[in-house]
Amino acid sequence: MRETMYIQAARALSAQGELLNDELPVAGIEPVGNVFYFPSIDYSRWFGIMQLRRMSRLTRAGMAVAIETLRDAGIDKPDAIITGTGKGSLGDTEKFMESIRLHEEGTLNPSPFIQSTYNALNGLIGLHYQVDCYNTTYVHRGFSLEHALQDAQLLFRENRAAQALVGSFEEITAEHFGIKQKLGYWKSFPVRADELFHTSTPGSIAGEGCFFFALGKEPGRQPLAELADLRMLFEPSAAELEQEIHAVLADAQLRLPDIDVLVTGRSGDVRHDRYYDQVAALFNDATQLSFKQLSGEFDTAAGFALRMSANILARQQLPAAAHYAGIMHRPVKNLLIYNNYYGVQHAVYLLRQTV
Amino acid sequence: MYVTGMGIISALGAGIEQNRMALRAQASGLTTARYLQSRLAAQLPLGEVPFSNTALASMAGITPGTENRLVLLATVALNEALGNRFKAGLVRTGFINATSVGGMADVENMYPDLIDPAIAISNLSAGDSLDCAQGTEILARHFGIRQQVATISTACSSSANAIMYGARLVQAGLLDRVICGGVDTLTRFTLNGFSSLRNTDTGLCKPFDEHRNGLNLGEGAAYLVLESERSLAVTGNRPVGLLAGYHNYNEAFHPTAPSPDGNGAYEAMAGALHKAGLLPAAISYINAHGTATINNDIAEAKAMLRLFGGQLPPFSSTKCYTGHTLAAAGAIEAVFSLLAIVHEELYPALHFDMPMSDAAVTPLLSLTEHRKTDHVLSNSFGFGGNNACLILSRYA
Repeated sequence: MRETMYIQAARALSAQGELLNDELPVAGIEPVGNVFYFPSIDYSRWFGIMQLRRMSRLTRAGMAVAIETLRDAGIDKPDAIITGTGKGSLGDTEKFMESIRLHEEGTLNPSPFIQSTYNALNGLIGLHYQVDCYNTTYVHRGFSLEHALQDAQLLFRENRAAQALVGSFEEITAEHFGIKQKLGYWKSFPVRADELFHTSTPGSIAGEGCFFFALGKEPGRQPLAELADLRMLFEPSAAELEQEIHAVLADAQLRLPDIDVLVTGRSGDVRHDRYYDQVAALFNDATQLSFKQLSGEFDTAAGFALRMSANILARQQLPAAAHYAGIMHRPVKNLLIYNNYYGVQHAVYLLRQTV
Repeated sequence: MYVTGMGIISALGAGIEQNRMALRAQASGLTTARYLQSRLAAQLPLGEVPFSNTALASMAGITPGTENRLVLLATVALNEALGNRFKAGLVRTGFINATSVGGMADVENMYPDLIDPAIAISNLSAGDSLDCAQGTEILARHFGIRQQVATISTACSSSANAIMYGARLVQAGLLDRVICGGVDTLTRFTLNGFSSLRNTDTGLCKPFDEHRNGLNLGEGAAYLVLESERSLAVTGNRPVGLLAGYHNYNEAFHPTAPSPDGNGAYEAMAGALHKAGLLPAAISYINAHGTATINNDIAEAKAMLRLFGGQLPPFSSTKCYTGHTLAAAGAIEAVFSLLAIVHEELYPALHFDMPMSDAAVTPLLSLTEHRKTDHVLSNSFGFGGNNACLILSRYA
């Protein structure tokens, strides 16, 4: 949907660690057994011991990133809290399933059940700020973050919010990694980050992370970038994908060479990387960046790309760690992100430098 | 926003007719479950859809054994909502689904095999259904829907939020038509979850009763077809009703309980009235959330009393018929609300004996017929304080 929003702040916790508002990713971080885990950080900066005892791994991470994002944006009370997640607090889901089996449906601790609820984090963020507002959660694999962003666009257009906290949260567990290994999601042999795009084999490497964005209808104090357009395509043909990208550019009155940077979600999966090659072929003059060698693949990996892209536009710097092809051009005025999740959910983002 | 189609399956049966007949007969669908494999099924009455997966597959026109229960329930409801003349490509059509645990019903039965590295997964589709999106996408493919495919999960308010999001996408001009609603199946996961919270009644649930003691879980699916004016001109569909108002209001009070004064419920109802441009007095009937949990019913009753004062319209919770169908509840109750409007009849509460001492409200106790019903307020309140209200209205 075409509706300009300003990214006023963007925080993350990913395999890259805790990324502050304007930090760009760096090279040198390697997956562990084909997984890019986010590290454990010192959560006592945000929560008391009693509070932490009740919070699971993903809840802590998501809350901390959400709090820092709003702090950076100088927002005390968000007008809306909207999230996207593929699997929610997966560790809690597994824990509750296991406890049902172990105790043969006896007396169970309800905490993992409550936290496994996909909208639990949303509710907790609302509680933390004591804010009663619009609040919803999208749970649609590679469209989760995208629908959350689109919902914020709608709220702005409807004049029901002036700013919104939008984010995604995802975790991978050993158990779920194993299931997906059997389903063919991952490479069948260990790969290093710099090998990801060079094996010509199916599967990718796993990742996880929390990404939050303070979005405004207006630029705010110091916006990082404009999110000018966002489109979703469900299982498009090659022609439909190309047509949609042309439509995004036409609606923004841009031509192909106006795109300075193309960020692709290539995942090293030989079954799906052809889409990226096809899109990249449209933008021969652009610098081509990739990010899954830094984040791994997961339902809401686009959050990593969106945060990185907003910072590229804000800082006018291109992270060498993300370089895929082409000369590192500057200035960067217009940036396109194209991502797909296992060839099913495809998303196109147009970001522009705030002038 | 025009509602041009609706479809439903619940413990009351498959299709609008079976559901309406059961409501009119005051025949609850709550009983001992036959299909759910759970130790608790012997102790807790449940609103199980009274058909096996094989029977559902034949009803849905799907090869048996290929789809999970979630998809089967949804397909039966969607077939009814869309009718047999449906062509997705006629206008820009989206699909906004809601579910609280997705394919859990099937996954939890095969989970030990799934996590055993030594056992290969024979059914890849079922193996990948431990999330909410997979079922939605199977349905989108089945019905040929390509634009705006989404799944929402906000616990018990999920499908009310799906209907709201769908309406807003049409309003914004991104779609001409949207199919929205929700589906949930009974699972050991949710049944044990609500039991561990001590929220389940071992007897039949008694919404708004002084001696209510918790909810009975249920399963089901329901969908509405919403269309813009422009879409009507192309599809030639005739509206059965209108979606006049809606509001989402999250209350920051407690992870699983509403504030005792029902402020979140009040704001959600008031917001929906505001959006519809209606005064409280215009509401003919309230299909309450009324789960029969200690916390919900007192909060909801206080909110209704505050909003409607002495002019509280007839209200009832239909969860004593269907059980609490979680993510499907908002859509199922939207269908019941439309039935009330179309047939000019209001469905009474069951199992009610005594008003609550802290907020004495008495639900409708007998079937009301020939009652012109213009506007119905339908409430859905969920975990995390997520409150969502819809207003369904008469078309011409």
